[in-house]
This record gives sequence, C-alpha cells and structure tokens, in this order.
Amino acid sequence: MPRCDPKHLLNTLSIVLGNEAAKQELKWMQQAIHPKSVTLQDMVARRVRGEPLQYILGTQPFGPLTLFTRPPVLIPRPETEHWSLTLADRLRPSPQKPISLLDLCTGSACIPLLLCHLSPPGSINACGVDISQDAISLARDNAAHCRIPLPEESSTPSTAESPLRNTFLPLLADIRSPDFLNSASLRRRLPFDVITSNPPYIPRADYDRLSPSVKDYEDIRALLGDPDPEIPSNNGLTFYHDIAKLLPDLLADDGLVAVEVGEGQAADVRWIFEQEGGLVDTEIWTDPWEKERVVLGHKKPQGSSKA
Amino acid sequence: MFRNVLSSQSRRNTARIYLQCYRFAQTEASGSFAFDNSPILHVVKCKMDQRAQVEAQITDDMTQADTKRLMKALSETEQLSVAWKKWVETRQCLRDTDALLHDPDPSMRSMAEEEHTSLTSQLSDLVNTTFPHLLVPPSTTSHLSAMMELKAGVGGSESALFLSELMRMYLRLAQSKGWKASVIASNETENGGVKDSIMEIQGECAYDMLKWESGVHRVQRVPATESSGRVHTSTVAIVVLPLAEEDPRASEGDDELFKMDDVRIEVMRSRGAGGQHVNKTESAVRLTHVPTGITVSMQDERSQHQNKRRAFQVLRARLMDRKLSQQVVDRRDARRNLVRSADRSEKIRTYNFAQDRVTDHRIGLSLKNLESVLEGDALQDILDALAEKHRDDLLQDALEAPPLS
Repeated sequence: MPRCDPKHLLNTLSIVLGNEAAKQELKWMQQAIHPKSVTLQDMVARRVRGEPLQYILGTQPFGPLTLFTRPPVLIPRPETEHWSLTLADRLRPSPQKPISLLDLCTGSACIPLLLCHLSPPGSINACGVDISQDAISLARDNAAHCRIPLPEESSTPSTAESPLRNTFLPLLADIRSPDFLNSASLRRRLPFDVITSNPPYIPRADYDRLSPSVKDYEDIRALLGDPDPEIPSNNGLTFYHDIAKLLPDLLADDGLVAVEVGEGQAADVRWIFEQEGGLVDTEIWTDPWEKERVVLGHKKPQGSSKA
Repeated sequence: MFRNVLSSQSRRNTARIYLQCYRFAQTEASGSFAFDNSPILHVVKCKMDQRAQVEAQITDDMTQADTKRLMKALSETEQLSVAWKKWVETRQCLRDTDALLHDPDPSMRSMAEEEHTSLTSQLSDLVNTTFPHLLVPPSTTSHLSAMMELKAGVGGSESALFLSELMRMYLRLAQSKGWKASVIASNETENGGVKDSIMEIQGECAYDMLKWESGVHRVQRVPATESSGRVHTSTVAIVVLPLAEEDPRASEGDDELFKMDDVRIEVMRSRGAGGQHVNKTESAVRLTHVPTGITVSMQDERSQHQNKRRAFQVLRARLMDRKLSQQVVDRRDARRNLVRSADRSEKIRTYNFAQDRVTDHRIGLSLKNLESVLEGDALQDILDALAEKHRDDLLQDALEAPPLS
C-alpha cells in the first residue's frame, strides 16, 4: 500500500530538507495541487529526488507577479527579485518620457516583465533575448500571463485611441554571435535606453560543485559563465566582456546598464564596464544577504570624448 | 435582548445618572410627563444650550477662520438640533392635547386620546432611539478590516487543537458575513493542531465586530488524546488588530504610522554564494520597528517580496492598534470598563464541552449549544451582545460627560 498520508510525506521530506523547510514546502505543494494529474505523493517523491520546488509547483512569485517555471529555464532567484524591484523604483519612466529596455539572457523574462508591470502603462517597451528556445517560449507564456502584450508592428498605424501599454518582445538570438547586431528585429529597435542582464556567471570550478538541484535541472547555458571549451577559466566573466563590447552599439547616450553578478565578481565587472564598455558613474548594489550583487553604469552623455 | 446583563458597574452608573436627573426634574415646571425625567433629555438640552451660545458668537466682523471653526461646531450638532426642535414641538402638542383629555365632548375626548397615543409614541421614539443614536459618536474604525493573531496558551497540543477549531469558527463567521478571510501564517503541529496563526479578515466593519475577540479564550473538555476521561482546561490567546486598506505604492515608503528609517529589515538565513548558485527557496523576513521594539517574522510566503509585504502589514496593524488603544486611553482618561476589557490577558470566554455551554465573562452571557457557536451562528449573537454593550457604554459616556466644560 502506498504511504501517502501527510505525516509520512512530511517525514520523508524532512529527511532531505530538515523539519522546518519540509513543513513549509509540503504546505505549498498542498496549495499548488490544482492540476488534477499531480498528486502530493508524486510531488514529494520528485522533491526527494532533488528536483527544485519551483519546477514541481510550476510557478514562482517574483515581486507582485507570479511567473511560470519550466525546466530547464533558470528559476528566478530572490536576489534578482530584490534588485529588479529596486531598479523599478530607480527608473520610474512615464508615458511622457517612455524608455526602451533590452534584457540580455532573459530566461523566464522575470526582469523585463517585472519592470513592465511596475511602470505606468505606455512607459516601457522591452525586449528580451535568449539563446534557448525553451526560455523564449516560457518568456512568451509569462508575458501573456502577466498581460504584457507584444509591441504592435509598425505596419499597423497606432491611432490616438489605442490604449497606452507596456510591451515585451521575446527574441531568440545568441548575443555572442557576430551576427547578433544584424538581426532585423533588434536592429530597428536600436539603441536602448536601459540594458539589464542576469548572464550566466558561475565559474567552471564552482559549477562542478553545484548542488544537484541546480546542476541536474537548470540549463547549463543559463549558469556557466565561461562556455567556450577552449577558454575554460575566465573567472566566469566571459559574458560581461561580450556585453561590454556590445554596449557602444546597443546603448543610447546617457543610457543605463544594470547587470547581476556572482559572488566576488562585482569589482571585476565594474572594471570591465569602465575599461571595455566606456561606462561612467558605475555603482555596485548589495543584496539582502550582503553580497555585492549588481553592477550599474552609465554611457557618457553625448558630446563627451570617445573612449 | 441582552440589555439585562449589563455589568453591575454600569448599572451603578445608570443609577447615578437617574439620580442626577431626578434633581434636574425637580427644578422643571410641573405638568411633567414620564419622558421628561429621561436623563438623555438633560444632555440634549445642555448641548442645545451650548449650540445657542455658539450661534450667539457668530457676528459679521469675524475672521474667516473663526467663522469656519464655529460653523464646524454647529454642523456637529445640526442633526441633534433638528431632532430637538421636533421634540419641543411634539412635547408642546402633547401638553395641548392633555387639556382636551377631560373635554366634556366625548368625540373630542376620543380624538384627544388618539392624538395622545400617537404623540406619546413619537416622543418615545425620539428619547429611546433618535437621541441615543445621535449622541453616540459614529465609529471611526468601521472601514477597517481585521487581522487576528492566535496563539496557543496553556494546555499544549490540546490548546493547539482548539486553536484550529477557533480558526475554523472565524472562517465560518467570515463566510456568513461575506467577508474575505485568509490564513496568512500558520504554524501547524503534527497532530492537526496549530500552535499559532495569523488570519486576515477583510470587509466592512470586520474590525469593529471582531475586536471583541481579543483576550484569552478558555476551553474545558476531555481531550481526544486523554484516555482517563479527565477534563482539561486549555487556553488560546487572541489579539485582533486593525488593518488599514493597503496602498500598493506606499508599501515600502513612509507611513503615517512609522518612518521607513525606523524599520530594520533582515533576511533570516545565509544563502552561501547565493544568486545562480542556489535555487533553494529562502524567503523568510524579519522586521524590527526600532522605536517600539516590535518585531515581525514572516516565512509562510514563497518569496521575499511577499513575506516582506505581509510582515509590513502585520507591523502596520500592530502600530495602528497601539495608536487606537492610546486614543481610547486619552479620551477616557483610563476610566472604567472599556479600557479594562481591552486587556489582552483577561479571560473573556469559556467553551465548556461537558456542559455544552459558552460563557462570555464580560457580559455574563451564557449560551447553550456550543456547536452553534463554533459553527459561527451563535458567535454572531455573542458579538451582537458585545456591540450593544459597547453602544450602551458609549451612551453612558455621553450622558456622563460634564456639560459646558
């Protein structure tokens, strides 16, 4: 007879998670049990095998939003939630002064969707790029779920009566490819006022030691900072070098860049952005766990000498 | 229907007022009538005298600010003044009718009797309903929703089991009142009990009705786990807090209740390297309001943001509760029963299963049929009785307020 009484399930979970976390997670599973095909027993069994809770539940709250989570797309992290909320407060765009935003390595699209959600209608046109088809289709589903529409194509004339809306466009592309800037959909949106990114930043040595719930379930392309086999160790900073090189073409004058970084990488990324990306007024933000988590920088305003 | 269960304290107060009123009645002209002795008339008359004085102060050469102040004072007694005029007119009519009750013409006498009955009933309405209604100040908290914090007290697992039954009782009541109720935090025990929980009950007058539930609830019964059949006494402590409508944009900003700089926000656990390295859900948050030392921990939600939002909601409710309690104390200079019943360590109600009885100790009200209380229906009766007692207390207050001070 299968053991499926909650007490037994709780004990099973406790062995893996500890008592307190097990109690919480079991409660969340019970709350999420709406899809009738899933049983609590299956959920607990998956969790015990090491699958991330967020994939089992199928959703993750992110600020006021609830986003879908699907393997292998990176699960939105609390650190990212925290700085995205802070950034929304910093940007405060308005329909009178709308901004364009590009999110590189967008994954679930958590960052641009949160910014779109928190900004007044008609103040943000966002675009999210990812190399993974899974990520792009999840980003599209999340945008629909958050009621952030695709931008209207320029062929449809926008009338005065059309309601003000923030928009989000998911784009499948490899930001490291030499052709990246030639993509037509991107090209006609250049340059962007704001660029955000949570690029893969885990160094190879760390990656090998990651918890199985991360390494075995989440996309290596969203995690590993140095993906080229021929350059195995660049301290996880490969994407920051690549982003810095793209900035002259991508970023508008006076534009803002904000990227998440891994533990101990903030100073290096700041240096890369200043030296290779020509950014000024750089800042480092600390996360609630007191780790340096975000590097910000501005493009020199028009008229200044070029780097 | 529960008027007869007023506390002895309040009966004494009532007696005192009647005495004052009796003296007042002695000074009035004769030809008096039962209503004329009502203490409430004295109070209304005093207020009308005050009103007349205010009216006399208004002159043409006053500053705008002074005029505005006086007009505001007048508008506060406007409705009362209308009712008073009606009283005076009706009372005069009754006097006129009285003279005709002994008229030699039988048809005239019969008309006068009819008239007399009708006027008497109008006067009775004014004294018993209209004036009390106008003298008791309207609730300033009727728009507030409620947050209920329940904590198991003495009695261990039995207390936790009873707590879960009380939660169910409030959820039922909320359902029948059309309030939106949700459990925002609960700390469950292994045998189906709840050690502590926080419930949010949103709806019109939710706080005003539920605030009487603050205090210690006592259960007397043979616990399911007790093999010897011995009756145990366990307790659950409840605090009902006022919950203001949440302003989504202001959730992180300063508030009339606190300054953001005074709140320390801490995350509870270390996440190692954090970020992409870790996908564990670590969302627990603790707030400390430094000036009052109030701390709120929240871990029931799945994200930092949600736990923080909830924690701020609880903090705001606790600060609002302090503010309201302080206002009550200020207004009543720590006088008598209302302040005392706000004492949260006081035993307010007993649920006795063996006798199938629920007793509310504040109003000495005992209801048979405990089941019906736990189902929420009879709880409504208790709450109504408590609310009525509160209205009576407020009226007493208005009657006792020193006139012309």
